[in-house]
Amino acid sequence: MINRDELAKIVGKENMSDAQAVLLNYSSDHSLVPPGVPECVVWPTTSEQVGDVLKWANKNNVPVVPVSSKVHFNGGAIPRQGGVMLDLSKMNKIFEINVDLKKARFEAGVTWGQLAGELAKKGMRVMMPLLPHANRSVLVDYLEREVPTNTVYDYGEPMMGFEVVWPNGEVFRMGSASVNGYPDSGSKGGNPSGPGIDFYRLVQGAQGTMGAVTWTNLKIMFQTKKDKVFFAPVNDLAYANEFLYRLLPRRVGQEVVLLNRVDLAAIVAENMPADFEKLRATLPPWTLAIVISGLTRRPDEKIAYEVNLLKEIVKNEFRKLTVDEALPGFPGLGGKLLSLLRNPWPADVPYWKNRWQGASQSLFFIARPEKTPKFVDVVEAVAPKHGYPVADIGSYIQPIEHNRACQVEFTFFYNGADAAAKARIAALYRDAARALIAQGALFTRPYGDLATMVYERAAGYTMALRRVKKVFDPNNIMNPGNLCF
Amino acid sequence: MAIVKEAYKALEAVVGAKYLSDDPAICEGYRSGPCGYEAGTGYERVMTKIPGAVILPRSTEEVQKIVKICNRYVIPYVPYSTGFYGPRSHPHVENALLVDLKRLNDFEFDEKHWYANLGSGVIYSQFQEECLRRGGYVVIGGGGAQASVIANLIGDGWSPLTHRIGLPHRRILGTEVVLPDGEILRTGSLAVGDDPFWGDGIGPDLRGLLRGYTGLRGCLGIVTKMAVKVLPFQPERLQPTGISPNTALALPEKRVKWVNYIMPSKAAQVKAMYEIGKAEIAGAVTKVPLFWRVIAKAECKEEFWTEWLKETPETIANFHIVRVLLIGFTSEEQMEYDENVLNDIMMELGGQPRRTKPSDESWIKNADSAGMWLMCGSYVSVDYVIETLAQATEHGPVYAELKKKYTPPLMPDHGDPGWFQSFELGYHGYSEFLIYWDQDEDTTGVDHFYLETSKMNIDHRFYTALIGPHQPMYLTGPKYGPNYHEWMLKIKNELDPLWVCHPPVPFAHDEFVDRAPWMHELKTWESPKKSPYPEWLQKQLAAETAAFLAKK
Amino acid sequence: MPTTKVNLETTDLNNYKYDMSRCIKCKGCYWVEHTYQPGVKFSTRCPSNLWNDFDSYGAFGKMRIGTGLVEKKLDWSPTLLEIVYADPLCGACDVGCKRNLDLEIELSLEAMRVKAVQDGAGPMPAHKKIAQNIASFHNVFGATHANRKQWVTADIKVAKKADVLYFVGCTASYRNKEIAQSTAKILSAAKTPFMLMPDEWCCGNTLQSVGMLDEARELAKRNIEMVKNSGAKTVLLSCAEGYRMWKVEYPKLLNIATDDLGFEVVHLVEFADEALKRGDLKLTRPFETRLTYHDSCSISRLADPWTPWSGERGWMGTVSPPLKRRRGAHGLYAQPRNVINAIPGVQFVEMIRTRENAFCCGAGRGTKEAFPDLASFAAGHRLEEVKEVGAEVLVSACPWCKNNFAQAVKEDGSSVKVMDFSELILASLEA
Repeated sequence: MINRDELAKIVGKENMSDAQAVLLNYSSDHSLVPPGVPECVVWPTTSEQVGDVLKWANKNNVPVVPVSSKVHFNGGAIPRQGGVMLDLSKMNKIFEINVDLKKARFEAGVTWGQLAGELAKKGMRVMMPLLPHANRSVLVDYLEREVPTNTVYDYGEPMMGFEVVWPNGEVFRMGSASVNGYPDSGSKGGNPSGPGIDFYRLVQGAQGTMGAVTWTNLKIMFQTKKDKVFFAPVNDLAYANEFLYRLLPRRVGQEVVLLNRVDLAAIVAENMPADFEKLRATLPPWTLAIVISGLTRRPDEKIAYEVNLLKEIVKNEFRKLTVDEALPGFPGLGGKLLSLLRNPWPADVPYWKNRWQGASQSLFFIARPEKTPKFVDVVEAVAPKHGYPVADIGSYIQPIEHNRACQVEFTFFYNGADAAAKARIAALYRDAARALIAQGALFTRPYGDLATMVYERAAGYTMALRRVKKVFDPNNIMNPGNLCF
Repeated sequence: MAIVKEAYKALEAVVGAKYLSDDPAICEGYRSGPCGYEAGTGYERVMTKIPGAVILPRSTEEVQKIVKICNRYVIPYVPYSTGFYGPRSHPHVENALLVDLKRLNDFEFDEKHWYANLGSGVIYSQFQEECLRRGGYVVIGGGGAQASVIANLIGDGWSPLTHRIGLPHRRILGTEVVLPDGEILRTGSLAVGDDPFWGDGIGPDLRGLLRGYTGLRGCLGIVTKMAVKVLPFQPERLQPTGISPNTALALPEKRVKWVNYIMPSKAAQVKAMYEIGKAEIAGAVTKVPLFWRVIAKAECKEEFWTEWLKETPETIANFHIVRVLLIGFTSEEQMEYDENVLNDIMMELGGQPRRTKPSDESWIKNADSAGMWLMCGSYVSVDYVIETLAQATEHGPVYAELKKKYTPPLMPDHGDPGWFQSFELGYHGYSEFLIYWDQDEDTTGVDHFYLETSKMNIDHRFYTALIGPHQPMYLTGPKYGPNYHEWMLKIKNELDPLWVCHPPVPFAHDEFVDRAPWMHELKTWESPKKSPYPEWLQKQLAAETAAFLAKK
Repeated sequence: MPTTKVNLETTDLNNYKYDMSRCIKCKGCYWVEHTYQPGVKFSTRCPSNLWNDFDSYGAFGKMRIGTGLVEKKLDWSPTLLEIVYADPLCGACDVGCKRNLDLEIELSLEAMRVKAVQDGAGPMPAHKKIAQNIASFHNVFGATHANRKQWVTADIKVAKKADVLYFVGCTASYRNKEIAQSTAKILSAAKTPFMLMPDEWCCGNTLQSVGMLDEARELAKRNIEMVKNSGAKTVLLSCAEGYRMWKVEYPKLLNIATDDLGFEVVHLVEFADEALKRGDLKLTRPFETRLTYHDSCSISRLADPWTPWSGERGWMGTVSPPLKRRRGAHGLYAQPRNVINAIPGVQFVEMIRTRENAFCCGAGRGTKEAFPDLASFAAGHRLEEVKEVGAEVLVSACPWCKNNFAQAVKEDGSSVKVMDFSELILASLEA
């Protein structure tokens, strides 16, 4: 039994709750991860309070689950062993937006909606994954290595120096934010690496099992001056892959996405379900979208040289592809898609994946682009075995960094209120995951069930991970039962 | 005590007699000094030893067996790729086994997916040529084209080309590491299979154990194989020309070009870097110390000094150059775009282009670091830190000011504030400060300056490259993190409970300060009374300290 | 700062204490110069260190060992002798280091051998045998001295007096008569009368190379005297090692400059290039083949003329008076290529490592005799490069290279034809 009074003393009575209705909010999310109820929730407002909560948790051997977003899709923050929800959503200050240094520093509770709005006021933006939910924590999404839609930069990784509270309650800054007195310092927190070892790597992808990250510096970008969106209908995925292998290393394009008809329809449909069904029926099997942008100087010339090469490559080497500023049969799609790609998904409407049937489950992994047709075949073979129509599978391929790799995401849609449907999807999800793993799909962010499947194939890595976890969290209080811990 | 016979036999069984030796002549050839990077310093003279034996494995499996034998018999061992990094890459205790990794030189290239999979024995110029041949390129770390790719990527790994290519940490893909106790760690996609194409994961990323900012100097295991990202370049050939010593790469001018600009002031110089980053153009943007240009022109040491001593603090203070490398990644048209934008910026800031040779003598393939020793014979960088442009452009002058107190023995450079540049399209700034001296002179000033810079950085709240094993951990530890050193010690104790992997790193600089009498006056911090080492190491260090003091 | 007197005499290893103690372990001595680095294959130019992977076998290791010798930290041992002598002294390390620095690597290595001899530890037994042969028979083979001119066939006209003196050398006289004969015929074809030494003795290459300087110096004096007495203006050689001896080592042994010898020293490749330009040599017979050329070390990296120097070293290691260092930039690189390119029918393909980056065949300067395994290894490795560029014919300008490569070809079983430069030219002259 948790001593709630001690917790209330640390964060203040108004920042602690054990009301059933409140706790139920944390017990489940949009994923298939089975529910788990915490014993109470606290909302600290400072890093020191976070530290004191964790010190208390260690002393009393109570599990702690850090959470920062208001909406969750992967089950990473569902408590498996009860304990305390450490909700950082009230730590939502944006400390600075520095246009010269192209960085912003903000707390874990800052959402995409909040940050995008503030950046826009200064003519800035931030590199984004596909349609992040406006109520999700920006920090957590990048900590969890969400894949951005932008393929052109060599350096990736927008996170810079950040602050973590270790499981033992110590507040610790890493990278160049580690200097004493930061941010009142010569160092501005731009470098994520060090000191000593790369602590930042140990906390990435950790789903809150290594510590609670409280704030970060993040790279921001100038808004583009001008944009053109090019589309290519794709019938032959392998052919489209070869095209991307050829084009993207030439550093053409900003955002580049490849979506099947189901996903694209779900994203752009105005009215559900009429528009969606019509789009699903008439869109090509896949649509490749390439955004070409002019930046801060001579934007037209930049667009011109990229477009010229794009056209030259299509004309000379990929005649079967039609690349144009409009997707045939879908006027105005370019402008619409661009706006969607550059803004978070609004919080006041159902998330795009849940617009169609109310619920969805996504399976995403990293792969070599040339293998994507094979993975599509795998999922299309598994789905019908669970009564799931192939035509209902949502597919999204995100090229990464000059197309050296890609993220593949399959989404299964279902009626969330139908328990039987949910069970079917859960079984399909597991089956598909196993089949994909057997074909070499790389699940680097194994949420829920995937964790066991992946870690049992990674014996050496798992062992080393547990040794490191032992160093930072000897009492295993941070989100226990998650990943391989 | 030399390596025990049983252990020697066990090691011999792993690699064969041809690749193991404890012959004094063989071991002497592996001495750190008397010269090299950071050689000619007290640290090198006090802390390095020649190995008790040298072994040359050929594979990860052989390395693992060697490490397990060292654990079984408590033999200190040191991983060594080229030894170029200087004393910190060499044994610090007597009778250590030096594990020379040069035979781990396998190399595979995946052109389609832009990476190469290579062993510790592969060096940068080899790698770069293989990349250029395939339309790719990489950063050759400032250590030089002769540095081992792996060793450099876990401790250094930047150059002016980092303006576009970014931090080296991100270029590390699937990697094989033999941990200090002999367990094998495979990171990234290698954790679950044989394909090394991906670097992150699974879940938390144990690449975090590989390097820190500037490396662990081999005290947390041996990296035997690594897949490394290659970046797309442009398709025209860069043709080597000339006969040594006057060699260079002839640049295809419509696709690759250096341009030098003289700026009217430091403010304009700095603004140029911000603007170029903001415009997202160019492959490199840098400002280098003036005396490097004199080195490049001088045919010999004497000529260097004749020219250099003509300069004055005024000429240095008024020398504001920006060097820009334009690369036509996409097309000739893109190169023209970059050049137009660059000219726009320079027009705004008053930058004047100077006649620039259509060749590259450094950075793209040669990375001329050996020239650093021409002037005085000894050299070390006392900082090479990536931060923001805000710190980078202010950092050097602080060093230059402190350096005045230690000149001589440091080289007279008229107060040159080092070099700085844009990294990652202006998201980062880089500053490096280099010092030179003649090691035949009294080098106490060098040792003192080196340590004093650490205190200076703490006082000014600057981030610095000389953190971790490079400076006393008990000095820097409490001031960064805070207490990063305590976490490092915990990780070290977990992964290397016997402390056989390159002891006493990461505390070697603490040992140096305690051992060398001329360093004692600088010790203004506390070390804990309880030693962090196991008993065998405490005894050995105590004996070696006593022997050192007796010799003095 | 106090100064130290220093000169370039290899008789005192202390003269090289600064150089050896300033090696930065950059391995510029080992790798192909980075600008020219061809990739992961054929990436080095040090036969010793490729043959034996321990650092001590590269120049960077030897500089530490040399420092150890000066500081009396090391005693002579079989391993130490092997480290010092298993090395063709090809000059790659010297040129590689001097790409960036001012260190005398080659001279340090020579001085270590001189010290080995002075200390009674060296040279190797095989070298002592050669020294005995030279002392007794005036040639390295121990062959009958009286037979030295047997290579001169009836169709070869030797002048009694001429401006050009052809110094044949031991190998061409006894083992590779075809080289001597081809050279003689080329000279005739180019309308260049030549004489021979009335009594030709060994040039002393092995003696000088292994540190037996006194013996080498006696030979130098004797041979120079004989040339002076002959009235020759030019000494021409078809052997690269001999060329180096006459042009560089003789002045060095006598502490004079190359320019002060009193005659020019010229290799056949230079002569042919000049004769071609003058129109005196006409290469008109086609030679249809895919051919590659090996830059023999002694006419390449090691061929810069010698100037004696002595002075002082002081502040920051600077020396005075000014010393213009020999960096291997004046090797005979263009000349053989000009000649090859003039031969009709030849498809000339360069090796991957050329000029100052060439990989030594491993035979020269006493190496083949004392370390046949190293010589065989080096030649075998170079042969892989020949095959990599698809050459049918391998040409070099030194009998030591030719013989070592020929042996490697035989051991390998490949069909590469090994020719000397003189044979190549002869093949292109009309009968």
